Amino acid sequence: MSVINYKFRNEVLKHNASLSYCYQCSTCSGGCPVALLTSGNYNPRKIIEEAILGLQDKLVQSQDPNPWLCSTCQKCVELCPQKVELTEIFVLIKNRCFKQSKTPEAFLAQAQAVLENGVAIPYSKAILTRRDKLGLPEVKTASLDEINELLQETNFKKHLLKEG
Amino acid sequence: MESSKSALVIGGGIAGIQAALDLADMGIHVNMVEKKPSIGGKMAQLDKTFPTNDCSICILAPKLSECYRHPNITLHSFSEVQKVEGQAGNFTVEILKRARYVKEDECINCGLCAEKCPMRVDDEFDRELRKRRAIYMYYLQGVPAIMTIDKEKCLWFTKNACRICEKTCEREAIDFEQEDKKIKLENVGSIIVATGYNLIEDINKDFLKNYGYGKFRNVVSALEFERLECASGPQGGHIKRLSDGEPPKKIAFLQCIGSRSDKAEKYCSSICCMYTTKEAMIAYEHDNELQSYVFYIDMRAGGKGFQSFLRRGASEYNINYIKSKIAEIKNDQNENPIIVYEDLNTGKINEMKFDMVVLATCIIPPVGIEELANTLGIELNKYNFIKTTPFIPIETSKEGVFTCGCVHEPMDIPRSVAEASGAAARAAEIIRGG
Amino acid sequence: MSYDLFLGCVIPARLPFLEASSRKVFEKLGIKLNDVDGFSCCPDPTGIEQIDRNTWLALGARNLSLCNNNGGVISFCSGCVETLKGVNYFINKDLTIKKKVNRYLQKIGKTYEGKTEVKHFAQVLYENLEKLKENIEKPLEGLKVAVHYGCHYLRPSEIIEWDDPFEPITIDEIVKTLGAESVEYDLKMECCGNPVEKSDKDLSLLMIGNKLKAIQQAGANCVVVVCPACYQQFEFNQKELNKLNNTDYNIPIFYLSELVALAFGFKPEELGLNFHRIKPNTLFESLGFEI
Repeated sequence: MSVINYKFRNEVLKHNASLSYCYQCSTCSGGCPVALLTSGNYNPRKIIEEAILGLQDKLVQSQDPNPWLCSTCQKCVELCPQKVELTEIFVLIKNRCFKQSKTPEAFLAQAQAVLENGVAIPYSKAILTRRDKLGLPEVKTASLDEINELLQETNFKKHLLKEG
Repeated sequence: MESSKSALVIGGGIAGIQAALDLADMGIHVNMVEKKPSIGGKMAQLDKTFPTNDCSICILAPKLSECYRHPNITLHSFSEVQKVEGQAGNFTVEILKRARYVKEDECINCGLCAEKCPMRVDDEFDRELRKRRAIYMYYLQGVPAIMTIDKEKCLWFTKNACRICEKTCEREAIDFEQEDKKIKLENVGSIIVATGYNLIEDINKDFLKNYGYGKFRNVVSALEFERLECASGPQGGHIKRLSDGEPPKKIAFLQCIGSRSDKAEKYCSSICCMYTTKEAMIAYEHDNELQSYVFYIDMRAGGKGFQSFLRRGASEYNINYIKSKIAEIKNDQNENPIIVYEDLNTGKINEMKFDMVVLATCIIPPVGIEELANTLGIELNKYNFIKTTPFIPIETSKEGVFTCGCVHEPMDIPRSVAEASGAAARAAEIIRGG
Repeated sequence: MSYDLFLGCVIPARLPFLEASSRKVFEKLGIKLNDVDGFSCCPDPTGIEQIDRNTWLALGARNLSLCNNNGGVISFCSGCVETLKGVNYFINKDLTIKKKVNRYLQKIGKTYEGKTEVKHFAQVLYENLEKLKENIEKPLEGLKVAVHYGCHYLRPSEIIEWDDPFEPITIDEIVKTLGAESVEYDLKMECCGNPVEKSDKDLSLLMIGNKLKAIQQAGANCVVVVCPACYQQFEFNQKELNKLNNTDYNIPIFYLSELVALAFGFKPEELGLNFHRIKPNTLFESLGFEI
């Protein structure tokens, strides 16, 4: 049985007040491409409903529906008649999942790459040769020290290392 | 007790008509001004009215005749109020009576001129679902029953040619020399504004594009569907798909199109939940094999007998009510609209194909309301409807100017009529003095 | 006219041929692109933003703080454009966010005011359509292009503020200006599904499979995209889909800049088209393009 977590609910509302405008009309779930293809297993309206009710255990612990299935196409935001900022609220929920070590592997791998290289895809030797052949200039990416320090400042490093 | 003061009623829809009749029956002289060539308003365009499903024109027509023949009512049709001066108890009003180019005393509405007229024009009364001629009756049962020439489409006025109507008319009623007239009314005691409403597709088709309105032929607006169902409408009451003429067996009715939305109009359009059930019921009476699906956010049916009306729809008229607002409509190769929605009972996403879709579009203030409000010196609210106070909804911001009906708030016919009588009573107070 | 160029991660480090054609196009148009040292990942709006918004804001603002050109920043990638525009949007909308971001940046000796303009390269092309037209030497007649706008090029419209979020026209117009035909197809506005790959590969394949089916049915002979994620999604998955579903997809995928470059008269090998996984050779032969 799910329990209403008022603290969580208020945190979400504080982060994005538009959550309270939702009148559960299901325009978003009717237009969502992922909802259609998963027969409603992924359902943006349900995520918002659970956020309104503050059901943190459903959203973050069991991830039911799974917020990571959102394709970030932003159709729901454009269609919503009440201007509920759905993807903003999804970002908050997923950020919370990250802090509680409940993130799909691929996201962590990308995060690790950025932490270690400053970019998500390091330049392999083969690519550098190919760039040269195509007449493209050398790319000088960020100073790793700077990135490291910045990601320390935002506590990103802390959470990432906890996960890994 | 007899007063030489008169009343002015602006707007010849059901609200204006009721107010004028009430005042006239009280012995007060009424000048009624209507922009269109005939009075009747939107109610004349309806097939039936909820919650009794009475024939709309059957209720309206006797009132139309009475307005025309009442000794205390002077009907100025095809006219507009241009200037208002003075204050409550003593207004001076200037009316522009547009030229119909037809002699009102001679025309007997035989229709021969219209048969011969070569110009085809989109018929506004039938929501552009069929064509009329440049010389026309606004609608069949229209009052006054006098033809009007649309000078923007008439070949004589645009290209100095034709004049066939003149040659055809056996009463010599056509008069191309007729001119617009200015009529001055003095000693007008009170004014009632009842100019009704427009629909959102009349001014803004932008957000309707997600529903394919204007692009998909089998997606129509509610008022268009009303004309399709009506026996005097473009399909003679036989509902047919606009793409292939086949009778639809499965119709979707989409609620809250353009209303209750931060992206369009914020307010509730009030009458759509009821008229949708009515339209579905009428459609079922035409074809017992029809299945109707109503997609809604909430079903707003608060009036007397309204809730049981909906229940009858569900149990006796094959209407399925589904709580789920629709995001968009797609078309398949045979122009069958496809709707994707979440079934809130199961959480499953369903795809359903329909033969036809009807959009319940939002009521908006009538086109031209800003100029009229300016002319009268009255205020509009933030939605551009006439501003009234919650406890005296028939008073405008100016003393002596009253209002009733949809021009100040979307409402149904019973309420419009009740407010009209209220406005008439208040208007009479000023005229009778005291 | 000149812009700072933000390359992002995917194009320079995995699909450099897309960078090549893009640079050539802007050079021909006389629009200067300045390379800036020190950029990091934008960061990915479908990746890092989803796990840590603050980090996303910090890295994004840091990137923007490195730009100093008055003409603004251009990117070849829809994702980078969304991130950079998004960072601007939040910094300008909420003073507490601006302060928080600048507190982070202060630790590395940088600041950012939120004033750098960001544009998608397709936006710049559309804004210079006349100049584009003047430079066309070989109209792309015979190309039946299925235009795929993608999602982040258009939405959320409050942040992107460019084309219509549901009925866009800009890329169709550019394609038509190049002399090609833009083919209407079902599911044109549907998402390619690339962001879902990180969470559910099968679902991601299902989404792109639906699009490819509709495109094949509509009779298009190629697809044009403006985002490297969409590019990968369309190109890299056709083989796997063919194995899974017994289909025979072999549809060349082009970046908008590649089509423009071809129309400008550049040869396919100059643009690195031989690095495409699905070679456009057969298509070009049938149209009379020299290979």
